[in-house]
Amino acid sequence: MIGRVFRVLLVLALIALFCKACIVRDVPPKNIQNTVINQTNLSLNYPMPKNVTLDGVDYLQSQAPVGKFGGTLVSSTIGEGPKTFNPFNCKDNTSAILSGVMYDGLFTTNPITGEVAPKLAKGYTISPDGKVYTIYLRHGIKWSDGKPITADDVVFTWQNIIFAGLGDTSTRDSLVINGKLPTVRKYGDDIVVFVTPEPYAPFLRMLSTSIAPKHVFYKVVQKGNAYFDSFLSTNAKPQDFVVSGAFKLKEYVPAQRVVFERNPNYYEINTKNQKLPYLDKLVYLIVGDLNNEVLKFEAKELDVISLQGSKVARYKSLEPHSDFKLYNLGPDTGTMYISMNLNSRKNNKGKYYVEPVKQKWFSDLNFRRAVDYAIDRKNMVLNIANGIGVPLFTPESLNSIYLNKKLKPYDKDINSAKILLKKSGFKTDKKGRLFDKDGHRVEFNLYTNAGNTEREAIGVMVKQDLEDLGMKVNFKPIEFNSLVNRLVSTFDWDMVIMGLTGSPLEPNGGKNVWLSDGRLHMFNMRTPQEGKIGILPWEKELDLMFEKGALATKFEDRKVYYDKYQDIVYTQKPMIYIYSPIRITAIRDKFRNIYPTILGGLTHNIEEIYIGNTKVHN
Amino acid sequence: METLKYIIKRILQTIPLLIIVSMISFFIIRLSPVDPLAELKLNPSVSPETVEKERARLGLDKPIIVQYGKWAISFVKGDLGVTSTGEKVSQKLGERIPNTLLLTTIVILLTWLVGVPLGIIAAVRWKTNLDRILTVLTSIGMAIPSFFFAVLLLMFAVKTGWFPVGGLTSPNFADMNFGAKFWDIAHHLILPVIVLFTISLAGLQRQMRANMLDVLDSDYVKFARAKGLSENVVIYKHALRNAVNPMITLLGFEFAGLLSGAALTEYVFQYPGLGRLILEAVLKSDINLVMASLMMGAIMLVAGNLIADILLIITDPRIRSKS
Repeated sequence: MIGRVFRVLLVLALIALFCKACIVRDVPPKNIQNTVINQTNLSLNYPMPKNVTLDGVDYLQSQAPVGKFGGTLVSSTIGEGPKTFNPFNCKDNTSAILSGVMYDGLFTTNPITGEVAPKLAKGYTISPDGKVYTIYLRHGIKWSDGKPITADDVVFTWQNIIFAGLGDTSTRDSLVINGKLPTVRKYGDDIVVFVTPEPYAPFLRMLSTSIAPKHVFYKVVQKGNAYFDSFLSTNAKPQDFVVSGAFKLKEYVPAQRVVFERNPNYYEINTKNQKLPYLDKLVYLIVGDLNNEVLKFEAKELDVISLQGSKVARYKSLEPHSDFKLYNLGPDTGTMYISMNLNSRKNNKGKYYVEPVKQKWFSDLNFRRAVDYAIDRKNMVLNIANGIGVPLFTPESLNSIYLNKKLKPYDKDINSAKILLKKSGFKTDKKGRLFDKDGHRVEFNLYTNAGNTEREAIGVMVKQDLEDLGMKVNFKPIEFNSLVNRLVSTFDWDMVIMGLTGSPLEPNGGKNVWLSDGRLHMFNMRTPQEGKIGILPWEKELDLMFEKGALATKFEDRKVYYDKYQDIVYTQKPMIYIYSPIRITAIRDKFRNIYPTILGGLTHNIEEIYIGNTKVHN
Repeated sequence: METLKYIIKRILQTIPLLIIVSMISFFIIRLSPVDPLAELKLNPSVSPETVEKERARLGLDKPIIVQYGKWAISFVKGDLGVTSTGEKVSQKLGERIPNTLLLTTIVILLTWLVGVPLGIIAAVRWKTNLDRILTVLTSIGMAIPSFFFAVLLLMFAVKTGWFPVGGLTSPNFADMNFGAKFWDIAHHLILPVIVLFTISLAGLQRQMRANMLDVLDSDYVKFARAKGLSENVVIYKHALRNAVNPMITLLGFEFAGLLSGAALTEYVFQYPGLGRLILEAVLKSDINLVMASLMMGAIMLVAGNLIADILLIITDPRIRSKS
């Protein structure tokens, strides 16, 4: 009997040793104090492509070093893959990214300064009154099927698709100014003129919307909305795509991958006048979740990956003896915040949305500021984001070009918090419990959506921080849908931890949150019937700033208004911002012409990226 | 004739069953607090009009009974409707069903081809070393949770680089010749097949062994041996035929599991089958897709049982005479 057990153990041991021998060397996970990846490898010297004219064709010329043609870059998208490849019907991020690869817009964003940069158009002028936009198109550039890209395509796209309300209408919705839409008409083949009813600054950036080939979309548009929605769906054949972007769909395998091949007619050339892109293929693997993405990167099936905070330390220690390089792209656009319900109105049954006792606390600026002072942001960054984050104090994310840099960060200050509470008549008893001046125990509910581990962790730490002030916080993570319902329909909540993604380029995108009758004005939400009832003085001021900010056209003028709006939020604390995660990405070091920037990310210049032959270590 | 009547009767019996299943699942999904529009509502750039339009498009503005009625009518007509993103459900399922079938058929074939003989051998060599080793191995197979085993194998694939990490085909699949394509798919299938095979082999082998032992212990086998028949004739002619009956019922269940049995493993291996599709559909409360897959599961189960019963009628004269 013992002999047999011994034999079995021996065999198992041999198998174990055999397996161990096969395993690729790995670095033991250890606590690395210095996980900081400095941002020095961020590129401020990216040579922007220039407009050149060769043989009567207006090309875009890459100024980056000339590379080698060929090769594949494998990236990934998390989830179930694209729902459509129709750039005008994307309701989800994945579809928008993948169709954006194929269809260029008139303009793009300068990845360093955030200014508008030329793409299909070579330039623009705006009339002094800010209403007339004259766009100069490139002459002689072609769609992937060889037909020229002209003003007809641009006018058709805007007139017959976007303004006509086909597909996803969010671009159209945000362009309706006083019930009117801009007009568009062409002058010759290379000039298009847009006229907006009022000066409207965000309009210029919206011109980066994709342009459709008229000769393909014309018949589709005629067949109506339903047919348009199903056009270029995920089962469209690759030959149906007539594109202007650097890559063109080659193959879509459901739940596995999307493969793009180079567009031979792309209008960007290198300094040797060869047509870009360098890469033959661009592949997006469809991976179900983050863990799988990491596994695929480690198995070398992926070339690029965006890393979560908890993974960064491990990758940092792997980096020196591996074939990838880490880049710190700086703070992300995501913002995490705590908000208190300032609603002081009654629902249609005559019941207050928020109990009157709690209303008094939340509407008290000293109370809100005390909560703000009590929160230990640095601790949260360290413990929840594994140090891969930055404390946040403004509603604009830290990479925003409109960030108000005068608003200074501060640390947790429990004494200032206590002084503020005392000023408003709050008292603590011997056990350290906090009571308001009428003798009510300060106790409220803190909600967030269950299942989001980051927000749940923040909730626990906020609860602890506020208990230092003697408040009793009942932390209740609830299901996402019922949380949304509370926030936007029934308004019965006290305090919430939520996150929003903003745009680092256009604060006007947040108007639904900040306008007093906005649909996501959660901290003091009004029903559509209530309109702007019970508006607070600073809410009125916010409304004004957003109104003016949208009408002004010069960056400097707009900056003034948006600085003021951030200042109001900073002082009035309707939302208390916590931190922004930092984006860390890794890419195989065989890829060259990598110019990572905060706004553009790692592969904004995908057409210039090429595969070098020797391994370079720096 | 009798058999045909029996089959028709059985088919008619399944109709109320399917109706009840569909109603229960429909109402449970619709009454759950998952709001398919929640994400849209929280998106700052979506206007309230768009949310309302979506609500009307998905039919959420109607009472739940009306929603069910609409769904049921189009289902009977053979129209599975569209997903919440507007794609055809039948097409979505059609993309995934072949992949899932490929995986499950291979697994079922393998398990039956290996499991049944192993069960017979273990029963015939009862209480020998071989039987004991098989018992240990199958116990291990039954004890490992498939999810955990799949994750372990994935880690193995990453560390050794011998196997691809999930999926069904490589990125350059389209450019391969036939032989390379075949090998590529086989290479991707090895790990998921190992997981599913280990798990289901254990159950099947135990079942077959127990049946066979029961039969070997019965009087007619003793009689056959006493008559002086050779051991092969006793086992394969007399014992096996009787022992295989319960296995046919089991085969019916296997049939039901063809489409839904591998969901968990599919998810871990990122296999492009039905498992991932349906999980996402449930999370997003994508009613048409969820209903289609649930009904498919129910129909497969009913059909599997029916097939098993018919096979039993054919193989077992006792049942034939009773019905």
